[in-house]
Amino acid sequence: MADALMTGFAGLVVLILLIAIRMPIALAMIIVGGVGVTLLNGTAIFMAQLKTLAYGQFSIYDLSVVPMFVLMGALATQAGLSKDMFRAANAWLGWLRGGTAMAAIAACAIFGAVCGSSLATASTMGKVALPELARYRYSGALATGTLAAGGVLGILIPPSVVLIIYSIIVEANIVTMFMAALIPGIMAVLLFLLTIAIYVTIWPEAGPRGDPNTRAEFISATLGVIPVLAIFLLVIGGIYAGFYNPTPAAAVGVFLVWLYGTFRGQMGLKAMRISLLETASTTGMIYLILLGAEMLKIFMSRAGVPQATAEWMANSGLAPMTVLLLLLVALIALGCLMDSLSMILLAIPFFWPVLVELNGGLYQMAEGSGFGMSTEDLKIWFGILALIVVELGLITPPVGMNVFVISALAQNVPMSETFKGVMPFFLAELVRVAILLAFPVIVLWLPHILS
Amino acid sequence: MSGSNTKQRAGLHGFARSLVTGWAILGGVILLCVVLLNVVSVIGSTFWAPFPGDFEMTEVGVAVAAFMFLPYCQLTDANVTADIFTANASRRWVAVFALLASVGALGFSLLLLWRMYAGLLDQKAYGYTTTILQFPHWVAFVPILMSLALLALAAALTLRDSLTKLSES
Repeated sequence: MADALMTGFAGLVVLILLIAIRMPIALAMIIVGGVGVTLLNGTAIFMAQLKTLAYGQFSIYDLSVVPMFVLMGALATQAGLSKDMFRAANAWLGWLRGGTAMAAIAACAIFGAVCGSSLATASTMGKVALPELARYRYSGALATGTLAAGGVLGILIPPSVVLIIYSIIVEANIVTMFMAALIPGIMAVLLFLLTIAIYVTIWPEAGPRGDPNTRAEFISATLGVIPVLAIFLLVIGGIYAGFYNPTPAAAVGVFLVWLYGTFRGQMGLKAMRISLLETASTTGMIYLILLGAEMLKIFMSRAGVPQATAEWMANSGLAPMTVLLLLLVALIALGCLMDSLSMILLAIPFFWPVLVELNGGLYQMAEGSGFGMSTEDLKIWFGILALIVVELGLITPPVGMNVFVISALAQNVPMSETFKGVMPFFLAELVRVAILLAFPVIVLWLPHILS
Repeated sequence: MSGSNTKQRAGLHGFARSLVTGWAILGGVILLCVVLLNVVSVIGSTFWAPFPGDFEMTEVGVAVAAFMFLPYCQLTDANVTADIFTANASRRWVAVFALLASVGALGFSLLLLWRMYAGLLDQKAYGYTTTILQFPHWVAFVPILMSLALLALAAALTLRDSLTKLSES
């Protein structure tokens, strides 16, 4: 047993080494998982497993929602949804000081929800909003910081691919997770708006007022966004109301976005080709990581690594809350090195058993539990916290992918300015995590009353 | 002589590229079919009755589409890596790492091709089908095996690219 455990930990070291030398993360997991299982159980069992393992993994019904939402996002990008959203938000908020930046945040939130990718949101909205922000003479730091930060909003506003993946790993109900994510997601939007309001109060010249718009523009911009909001409500509202499963809902979303794009004359063959290839790279990438994660999971659980870590943490004498904080800090640190999805797949299978152990087991009820809540609730609460912190890596040095994307679009703003501009939003995110840590009820209230 | 040789290779390379890209688009079309199936099923269940077997056909269709996307991911380098540790590595080392990654992908695709071929034979021998529509699983394995063969081809192409880069640096 001790030998198996040693093999497991050695496997982890090799995994980190492989990832460090640019081995694609999926492939690194596949190699370590495959070799590890062979070492522990011999070749025959693993070779037999490979006959159907990948097919079984790729045909999980809950996963089928992922390529559909990816496709919906790709179509939405082609259909020019982003312009409509920004225009409407600007008509509503643009007259305020800092209003155009606020409009960008609002548009990022909705587009990010539909599109599901932080990077794509930052780059699409960046293309739409940066020229406008420059036109109103916003400071480079505020303009680029807003858009880089706005990209992270999508992860918690359903439908979110990473949220779906988390649900599958910890065996949570996807719909419950969607419900839990709603209030924290809206909270992030409000906190970001507040951040801009405070920013322009301190530095009024950073975000001047926009032109007061005409009544006609206000009405036409508002009408322009109604179809988009209707699609969003039909998809997400239908899931919340229990009208359909996430997969049919996503299919309806794909269809409606395509219809909308066709109606606007944006869905030619070229747009379809781009959307399908975009879907192919994102989906293929996600599915390969999922396969790698599954192989790694088989190896690690046979070696007993998650169980040993969980036991060790539980016996360390640290308070449950201290351990939770440590895990979240570890996720922030990892987030600086990897993308959110790989990180969730890599870390959650190790972190989650630790929390279960500390809480008192998988079937623990609220009474006498480590965190003062049932393990089912802990699953939801931790998921939301984890998803928020994994995205923080996108806006912090050294990797800060969102910042890179925006910098590439705004050539005249030095990257250091963008990192400066993102700092207030980073602080707002820390405030949000602190509030959710202190008041789990914000996360758990909606799932409790709706189920 | 050598000039025409390179040209021919580029032609072959170009053909392999369009093959892999076309295959991914075909996978996308299968995904679109799954989308339509679900839309029809939603409309059907609202007004009449749900499409029978929509669950299982979604599972099979998405699985096949996902496999068909893999060669394209390999060819376009869409699989995520963590570049931060080697951001300052020399071009030569980066080419070595890329070479290792391609070797890994090639080995994995060939292994999986071999094992899933055995899987196909199993599925056929035992006559496994989906529950409602009795769709035989081995049929889905055919495009999957073709995808894995294309994945091996794509890995061979990226392998050759990194060899070229290595010899140039």
